[in-house]
Amino acid sequence: MAILKYLIKRVVAMIIMISAVIAIGYVMMYYTPGGFFTASNIASALGPLAAQNPQLYQQILRDFQERYGLNYPLWHQILLYIWHSLTFNFGYSMQNPSIKIMTTLHTAFPISCMLAFGSIVLALIVGIPLGIIAAIKRNTWVDYTASTVAISGQAIPAFVTAALLVLLFGVVIQGVLPVNGWGGPGHQILPTPGQAVLPIVSLGLGTIGVVAKYVRNSLVDIMRQDHIRTAQAKGVRYWRIVMKHGVRNSLTAMITVIGPAFAFTIVGTIWVEQIFSIPGLGQVLSTAFTNDDFPLAITSIFILAALISIMNLLVDISYSLMDPRVKLE
Amino acid sequence: MAVATVSTQSGAKPKRSRSQFAQAWRRYRRNYLAVGGLIWVIIFLIAGIIGPWIAPYSYSHTDFLNVNSPPTWQHIMGTDNLGHDMYSEILWSIRFALEIAFGATLVSFVIGIVLGLWAGMKGGIVDQIIMRLVDFMGAFPTFFFDLLLVVKFGRGMGPILMAIGITGWAGYARLIRGLVLSMRKGDMVEAATALGASQMHIARRYLLPNVMNQMAVSLAFGIPNDLTVMAGLSIVGMGLRPPMPSFGNLVAQAGSMMLGFPWMMYFPAGIFALTLLSYLFMADGLSEALNPRGGD
Amino acid sequence: MAGHLFEVDNLNIEFRRSDDKVYAVNGVSFSIGEGGTLGIVGESGSGKSVTMMSCIGLIRSNGTVKAGTAKFEGHDLLKMNRKQLEHIRGLEIGVIFQDPMTSLNPLMRIGDQIMEGMIEHHYATPRDAFDRTINLLGEMGIPEPKTRFRNYPHEFSGGMRQRIMIAMALACEPKLLIADEPTTALDVTVQMQILALLKEQQEKKNMSIAMITHDFGVATNFCDKIVVLYAGQVMEVAETKEFIRRPAHPYTIGLKNSIIEVGQRDRALKPIPGMAPTLTSPPTSCSFADRCPLVTDRCRNELPVLRQVDGNHMVACHRAEEVLNHAV
Repeated sequence: MAILKYLIKRVVAMIIMISAVIAIGYVMMYYTPGGFFTASNIASALGPLAAQNPQLYQQILRDFQERYGLNYPLWHQILLYIWHSLTFNFGYSMQNPSIKIMTTLHTAFPISCMLAFGSIVLALIVGIPLGIIAAIKRNTWVDYTASTVAISGQAIPAFVTAALLVLLFGVVIQGVLPVNGWGGPGHQILPTPGQAVLPIVSLGLGTIGVVAKYVRNSLVDIMRQDHIRTAQAKGVRYWRIVMKHGVRNSLTAMITVIGPAFAFTIVGTIWVEQIFSIPGLGQVLSTAFTNDDFPLAITSIFILAALISIMNLLVDISYSLMDPRVKLE
Repeated sequence: MAVATVSTQSGAKPKRSRSQFAQAWRRYRRNYLAVGGLIWVIIFLIAGIIGPWIAPYSYSHTDFLNVNSPPTWQHIMGTDNLGHDMYSEILWSIRFALEIAFGATLVSFVIGIVLGLWAGMKGGIVDQIIMRLVDFMGAFPTFFFDLLLVVKFGRGMGPILMAIGITGWAGYARLIRGLVLSMRKGDMVEAATALGASQMHIARRYLLPNVMNQMAVSLAFGIPNDLTVMAGLSIVGMGLRPPMPSFGNLVAQAGSMMLGFPWMMYFPAGIFALTLLSYLFMADGLSEALNPRGGD
Repeated sequence: MAGHLFEVDNLNIEFRRSDDKVYAVNGVSFSIGEGGTLGIVGESGSGKSVTMMSCIGLIRSNGTVKAGTAKFEGHDLLKMNRKQLEHIRGLEIGVIFQDPMTSLNPLMRIGDQIMEGMIEHHYATPRDAFDRTINLLGEMGIPEPKTRFRNYPHEFSGGMRQRIMIAMALACEPKLLIADEPTTALDVTVQMQILALLKEQQEKKNMSIAMITHDFGVATNFCDKIVVLYAGQVMEVAETKEFIRRPAHPYTIGLKNSIIEVGQRDRALKPIPGMAPTLTSPPTSCSFADRCPLVTDRCRNELPVLRQVDGNHMVACHRAEEVLNHAV
């Protein structure tokens, strides 16, 4: 029961937050000079028609305004827009008024999800053992190397890593891995295994650094705690102490970094999709922005924001499941 | 009397801070990566300052006879598809990157100080609202707001600087608020007050040095972060409007051409990666040197 | 004196620091008989915990045992490798630590933590270990052991947690129990309960106990023999009765005078002035000299050796006889 109450509270908070994001975006777009929302762009595009057939021109203008809900007062537009977004009724793109935004998202969203989750999984698989080894061999060259690699991964943004990987596999050693594209004829969403490697690796490197550093520091800290000495006094074998009392406890704490790491990865996805020409949400977002296609742009931000919020909620719930001291409130 | 007090204080203080600084510097010097990072950062700063004078060409100069040229003596880093000299482009990029990163960090810092002070001093509902905002900015990628702001205000130097600046203050605000709170009711302060130390003395002797260290570290981490955000905007086509060069623009532009003309990627991506690494190693070394975590 | 279960002889321990060495334990010797209770008393920093912990291999990484033996049932623990020690710890020698708040793994059910040792040592099958744990919890005075088995440490009070620690230490019925300040972190009333529980368990299982404490009162109430440590050296060893009747070392007298006892309200409290020293070179004179009311020139120049003054009563003080004869 408590968990249900907690969930409701969190979801409400999430909706408020996302609505705020949408509202801010909408207002900013509304007042942008040259923005589509003022319908002035439509007017200029149909300029000649205004002279030739004023009636038809007015009709078209009204149709457009109606289609995008621009004929209401601003506050009404915002509320309507938020409501439609929350009910996943995103309407039409402005660049291609005949294409529903939902259709675009249908292929783009799963692709971005694959990238993001794939890189998080990679980061956990590589970062956790790296952190454990560094902690056990702390203050040796192993530790220093692992820490340096971790910082490097964090320092260099995904787009630079991606670019360098493309150089490596596109110029230096050609033909091993494809350096761009996603999917193929007949399968738009699923990539070939080779296509997924470089994008996921370049996205994951930064998160590997975050995870490894966190696991290393928390494990070093935990291995100095009193309860480790208790386990030693019980005669528990060293490796069992490391795994059962050390790593287990540090992984529980590590769950909390997955939330921020995921947000960080989502931004990285936008960049990596550019470099590897992957038709995901990031590419939708950037074309939308460069073409002043505001409904599409705000919708992509909405989707990504929702994804991050849901991920944060999941992280908090699983943290409370792993650590009995944490109560959901 | 007053003169005497002042003179003894000013006589004692520099000695202490000098030795503290010397200790931190000794610890810093032992970290070779941090020293290497510092050296590169200094080179980068110098290049940013004198770059426009030593650049052989202007950033908008196009050499149509040498388009897509590999590195030659005339263009030591090659040219791009419009005949821009890559070496000059990079020097100008450093200049713009520094202006935006330092400017944006300054803006964030000022906003952070104002909001942090306000939250810490006022407490109550003001504090609640500001901290909620800080949490929100922390959990949500500010990059999205940067995008919206740049679309709204344009892709020039000023708008980009402001966009990055007004979204990056959350960490600084948290830091300053923490300072104010610990000043108001910390154990250490209580102990010092009990011993008869004045508020100002406590702030200067105990709290400020501590906070200065933390501020220095968070500023050192803030600048490479702003550099990344600035370049990231270019990657999605929302960075500095060409022909103004920036690392993001150069990388994004080379992205489509690098298979045929890889030098367009080597130099900008390499230098940018090296710079970010150097900043991070420097910041990391700084935080270790200022807040040593003890022996083993 | 045959049949000593545990015998420490001439133990020397050093700690490395960034620019010097600390001589933490300097030639400490004592023994514990089967079923006996030894109190190891000293101020903080006197080396009492380090002495016992180093014997079972739980010393911090910057400390090394320089000399000495620690024989348990005739085998020298200090010569054992990690594997052999792991086999002894928990099974033959149990340990209770000072702070029950931090000494339990916060993310593990307490029942699993008690069972862990038994399973690790193949002392019992998991099924038997479970039954035994329930029994132990009951014996320790924890109500509803079956439901409490599944609770986590944070769901218990400090006294309850210390009972859990004791259950854990006793799980494999060790022959020796090292209790490292087991009651220091607890309320006074709870302290008494825990000591009573330990006494009860000791009698039931004929176990030996090494009680490390800074509280002279606890030691005299609980132990039948007491070793007083100061600056890593033995100052005085005697049966408890002898200690109460005829303390022979000025330091012991100081310890005795600095405790508050019920019904002694009018007696002036006489704390020992000064602080315990940290030795950065091996002792060449009496370490207590600077704080001693009876100090002479001899004390500052000559290291007093531990010598017999009466039966089993050993003292390291040049003026012990004078103290005993009330000559000073």
